[in-house]
Amino acid sequence: MASLIACPHCGPRPKEEFTVRGDAGITRPAPDAGEDAWYAYVYLRDNPRGRHREHWHHTSGCRRWLVVERDTMTHTIYTVADASAEGETA
Amino acid sequence: MADFALLHRPALADAKSGSFGAPSTVKRITLAALPEGHVLHVLAARGSGDLQGLIPRIGDGTPHAARPYGPGQWFVIGDAPLSSAEIFGKTPILDGKASISDQGHGRVRIGINGAAVETVLAKGTAVDLALSNFPVGHSAMTLIGHISALLSRTGKESFELLVLRGFAESLWDELIQMSLEFGVDAHTGK
Repeated sequence: MASLIACPHCGPRPKEEFTVRGDAGITRPAPDAGEDAWYAYVYLRDNPRGRHREHWHHTSGCRRWLVVERDTMTHTIYTVADASAEGETA
Repeated sequence: MADFALLHRPALADAKSGSFGAPSTVKRITLAALPEGHVLHVLAARGSGDLQGLIPRIGDGTPHAARPYGPGQWFVIGDAPLSSAEIFGKTPILDGKASISDQGHGRVRIGINGAAVETVLAKGTAVDLALSNFPVGHSAMTLIGHISALLSRTGKESFELLVLRGFAESLWDELIQMSLEFGVDAHTGK
């Protein structure tokens, strides 16, 4: 996994300071969306090879949620942005 | 109102004290348990704009009292203990743009200084501590080994660490260990 994440607030920090939540592209279903939609939201995840957008929490730093776009194969980090700047709540 | 008086015991009262490591005098490290005065956690309200100029007014007027560690987040520290009335009395200064929470019970400060202080701290954190990148007055929340701490530069060769009370002695021992090659004098203030 990529070892240095360039936090937009703190600068480059080692991955040990972060907690990974997972896929940033998943949206919460409506309360009455049904069992299948909720099961998929809570449990089902893709395991992509290549570019992937994820929520990362800078737990031991500024404590902000970030959206990190990285390559799961090459470990390249493409973008890191504050999750609030994305204008979305997944 | 509390039914019984809480007894305040300094977190580092029983920590290792004395001189350790190399006998050198040139690059010696000094560790000090700093007074457990007040630690105020200040959090900005949503959309309150730039508060950089406002937050230091919460402090006691000493340099580096207000220490930013993330967007809209500060620790304001000082040597004098404050009553809850005194802390509450500071809220009008913020005019609803931020809130204060007393963390004096939760976090303590450790001072570390010496010519080799950057080398010692670099053993524990990935933050670039060079004076050009981390000037006096700068702060950063980071991991020292596995312990989360707010690192603040208070001088060319001096830093302060703000650490959770329960981790303070563990960090203290690690800092002594990290300083052994230069020699270290640890003062718990006992």
